[in-house]
Amino acid sequence: MNSHRPLLIRLCFCCMAPILMNAVSSAAVSVLGVMQHELDRSVKKLAQQPTPLYFLSYEITEEKSSYVRASFGTISASSDSERRLLDIDLRVGDHSLDNTHPIRERFGFPSRRFSQLEVPVSGIDALRNILWYQTDRKYKDAIERLTMVKANVQVKVKEEDRAADFSAESPEQALEDPRSLSVDRAIWEHKLKRYTSPFSQSSHIYAADAALSASVVTRWYVNSEGSKIRTAESRARLMISALTKAEDGMELPRYESFFSFDLDGLPDDNEVMERVHAMIRDLEALRVAPIADPYTGPAILSGRASGVFFHEILGHRVEGHRQKSEQDSQTFKKMLGQRVLPETFTVVFDPTVSRIGSTDLAGSYRFDNQGVKAQRVEVIEDGTLKQFLMSRTPIDGFSRSNGHGRKQAGYAPVSRQSNLFVEVSNPLSREALKEMLIARLNAENKEFGLFFEDIQGGFTTTGRMLPNAFNVLPIMVYRIYADGREELVRGVDLIGTPLTTFSKVAAASDEIEVFNGTCGAESGGVPVSAASPAVLVSQIEVQKKDKSIERLPLLPAPPGAPHSLQVAAEGGVR
Amino acid sequence: MTCLRMSVLPLLFLLCWLPAHAQESVLLKAMRDEMKRAMEDLQLGGMDKPYFVSYSVLESTSAQASAVLGAIASRREGSSRVLAVEVRVGDKDLDNTNFSTRPDFGSALASAAFPSLLPLEDDYHELRRKIWLATDSAYKQALDHLSKKRAALQNATRVEEVPDFSEQEPYQYTDDRTVPRPDAQKVQTLALDVSRAFDGMPHVFVSEVRTEMQFERLTYMNSEGSSFTRLDPSASVRILAGTQAEDGTALEDSIRAYGRSWDELPDTKALISRAQRLSERLRELRAANYLDRYSGPVLFEGQAAADIVRRVLLPRLLATKAPVVDDPRSSRSGGRGGNPFLDKLGARVLPRFLGVVNDPTLERYDQTPLLGGYPVDDEGVPARETVLVQRGILKTLLATRNPVPGVPASTASRKSAGPGPSNLLIIPDQGLEADELRSELLALVQERDLDFGILVRHIGSPQGRIPSAGRGSRGPGGQGLVGPVVAYKVFPDGREELIRQADLVGVAESSFRDIVAASNDTFVYTTTFVAGSNSFSGLTSLRRSSLTSLVVPSLLFEDLTLRRPRGNIPRPPVLPHPLAGP
Repeated sequence: MNSHRPLLIRLCFCCMAPILMNAVSSAAVSVLGVMQHELDRSVKKLAQQPTPLYFLSYEITEEKSSYVRASFGTISASSDSERRLLDIDLRVGDHSLDNTHPIRERFGFPSRRFSQLEVPVSGIDALRNILWYQTDRKYKDAIERLTMVKANVQVKVKEEDRAADFSAESPEQALEDPRSLSVDRAIWEHKLKRYTSPFSQSSHIYAADAALSASVVTRWYVNSEGSKIRTAESRARLMISALTKAEDGMELPRYESFFSFDLDGLPDDNEVMERVHAMIRDLEALRVAPIADPYTGPAILSGRASGVFFHEILGHRVEGHRQKSEQDSQTFKKMLGQRVLPETFTVVFDPTVSRIGSTDLAGSYRFDNQGVKAQRVEVIEDGTLKQFLMSRTPIDGFSRSNGHGRKQAGYAPVSRQSNLFVEVSNPLSREALKEMLIARLNAENKEFGLFFEDIQGGFTTTGRMLPNAFNVLPIMVYRIYADGREELVRGVDLIGTPLTTFSKVAAASDEIEVFNGTCGAESGGVPVSAASPAVLVSQIEVQKKDKSIERLPLLPAPPGAPHSLQVAAEGGVR
Repeated sequence: MTCLRMSVLPLLFLLCWLPAHAQESVLLKAMRDEMKRAMEDLQLGGMDKPYFVSYSVLESTSAQASAVLGAIASRREGSSRVLAVEVRVGDKDLDNTNFSTRPDFGSALASAAFPSLLPLEDDYHELRRKIWLATDSAYKQALDHLSKKRAALQNATRVEEVPDFSEQEPYQYTDDRTVPRPDAQKVQTLALDVSRAFDGMPHVFVSEVRTEMQFERLTYMNSEGSSFTRLDPSASVRILAGTQAEDGTALEDSIRAYGRSWDELPDTKALISRAQRLSERLRELRAANYLDRYSGPVLFEGQAAADIVRRVLLPRLLATKAPVVDDPRSSRSGGRGGNPFLDKLGARVLPRFLGVVNDPTLERYDQTPLLGGYPVDDEGVPARETVLVQRGILKTLLATRNPVPGVPASTASRKSAGPGPSNLLIIPDQGLEADELRSELLALVQERDLDFGILVRHIGSPQGRIPSAGRGSRGPGGQGLVGPVVAYKVFPDGREELIRQADLVGVAESSFRDIVAASNDTFVYTTTFVAGSNSFSGLTSLRRSSLTSLVVPSLLFEDLTLRRPRGNIPRPPVLPHPLAGP
């Protein structure tokens, strides 16, 4: 019945359980050697078969993780794990047409499958054994699929995009030092308890969690073109979430998340506690805030909100492989060289930058998952669309990768975003931006505009079966009245379609904010960031938020919890 | 008025309960205090109040590891404490359970469909807060289900008037032992050591050893006064190996060993030798011949006899029935029409010389430990022996407090969300010696004018690591397909010949009526029971599987069919095994 599955892409916060640890086995140095040896053996033999192999790569991703979580001042989860997954890219045919070529069906599912192959790295025999057998399985799948691909190409109409299936790239070699990250559980348990205790001051907050995930990710990559890469990086994320519920049942969450490549890079207790108290004040205010109605008019998006806004409406639509898929709406494919934003706007994806100000950027890396060196890509230069984010899957006019072939371990890579930067050549002050908004209100005779201060994430569909829309999920939204007053409201999502919305982007401020998150799409969850100034959009649209129909709890909260410090709701106006 | 009542009740409560529970844990106190509020004050408008509330808290701490050829592939250690709340509204004759509707994932606060996460620490206030929200959510769902169920029954005449909940005397039980932390190092070491058994065996293409040490503590309390704390420690090892024969045939199997404690597991040496036997069997199977098709007498020995009982007969011995549905379409797609054995109560389901007993109170059988036992079941019913089949006649089924027609009371068999076995014993009245049983097989072979009979020694459980095209679903579902089995041709002269690979087809519970003989010695087989796809009731499940031990004699079936697995054979690997020498 549901044979067409719209491609839903999501930028969300869901922090993946993992992170951390004292890394690296002693055998690590030889891992690449064993991989290379087994790769050479397979290539030699399989290249002589009737259907010869023309490309083979192995990637092993090791993740050592620690996770601690607290809720209202008590520890609620704790785990520690490590595992290694093997990914094999094996290609038969040739660069122009190979087994990975999409098979076109009217309502076809994407053919790429998810597989989880656990593999040890500390034992040479075990590693060789697994590489051998899994390569053989991959090879058989590949020859079977190539036959299907060839038939499909013959039977169906000519494809619109005739680019090859695989790009030629130069081999890369790099060996990064092993990394480690050790979590002192006692210290972190204490911290997380401290961060979540104050939430019990409010009897209206029903959930309050803080979670630390810390991990060390080591990747080993070899391919038949001579690439040989080992990368190692540590990541730490602190995520605080809390939730209240309005009388009408609406669930109102508030999130704060902190990302760093190092545990020391996470903010100190004072800074976190300040945010915690702000969250409590916000939730109390949200709970009693008036519900906003569907509205269209001018709005300011904070830097974080506009980061997600650009990630959804632009970022996902400039991912190269989507320009090739005939199920994708290809919004920007034919707009190369055309103006899509004001001349003052430049949008860049740059995985080689790892930090902006004091904030680490989650979407940075040195090599992508196809062994291609990370590169800065100016997608929009002075308002004009210049290029796409490319993996090793070429499209018409772009025959090479620009280092954006990414994936989560266990998935096949496609072109994905990295660190997004929105740069403007004539930034305004925050006040000037607000004045511009108010001027528009007066000109259009509107009572108020909107200010989106904080968001939890967003999603978009880029397929043809469903309207090509995006949805940004705000948490803190204010009405800005013509007299400059701001009033907190709740219950709306920011929606729109890409081209219309883009044509309404008007101006930007001079303060850059960063949103670090995890982006989910067909190649799994990959860490990304979006850095942007606040942006004035001359016309946006909001729709009512999906809302819980569950009543508030019938009984009052159990007595005895420390409610002594009643927090006064601050009311909606500031 | 209100003030007066409020002041008297807590006092009485204290007087009655304080002495008995002076040592009560923080968790129990939080559960008790929240339950009291739920029973006394929880009510939405003029709707029904709860008539029954229970809390189950499962604390679990575990360490797992997997290893291949002496190297660790993954490991994990973790702890959790989860709560399941059962709220019943209406009355015992008709309440919100035994009803199937579209699942409602509720709110972000707590969802009655899933267990809630409790703090790992004994923080009284936080425990109560979580229990409060979970109870609230469960109560609202119960009201919703009861009204939908009443609506669904409004235009129907109920044919089977069976109550929804059975009476049960309150019962208390406590196990004071503390829960130790699993030793992650031991778990990894064992996985590493056993995985080395496949070193230097290039005829094995895929191998893996998984080990786990787990401590679980279930704390239960209900509004009728039952409560218990039960410790369920367990340890397990799974050894997997697979290969392809020269023609490509997938040959794969996994074996498991269980213990109630780490020390109860077979020692490393014994496990290594089991792994080696598995490897040896794969080598023999690679060289063995096929059997195209066979219909005739089949003798099951040891693990194979126990496993055929587990797969085919056991699911029929559970008291499950089709729930009331609010949408007739979902009853068809849900597809579970209940257990056909509900109509067999009082009828013969086994030969006269066989009986079946479920006994959670047994700790050993002869000298062998039984691991399926418990002092009290998951809803606080004290464990007791139940005779299920006597002299071939079906007497009753394993039941929870949710009755089915013909089984009005619990048999102390609640496991997770539905009924399940503990220690299941099939004891023959008049068993034969091993050689007599074989003679019996050969006599049947002669009578049928066959060249040979079939002996099944093992039923495999492949995990899909070796591609095998065209294999369908197995087990009691499907089309009664069981396999692949390790089977031997037995010739009249006593000679045995291993068969490469075969599936049993068309095995059903009715096949067990035609068992012609059984041995007098029995085999103890411990395995996991996966709590049911057929446990409706709208009750939350805290865990998926639990241990069960089967005691089963060798069984001679008069007529079963074996055949070569259907489907195409994948090709063997192009390259030789990397460790196979030059």
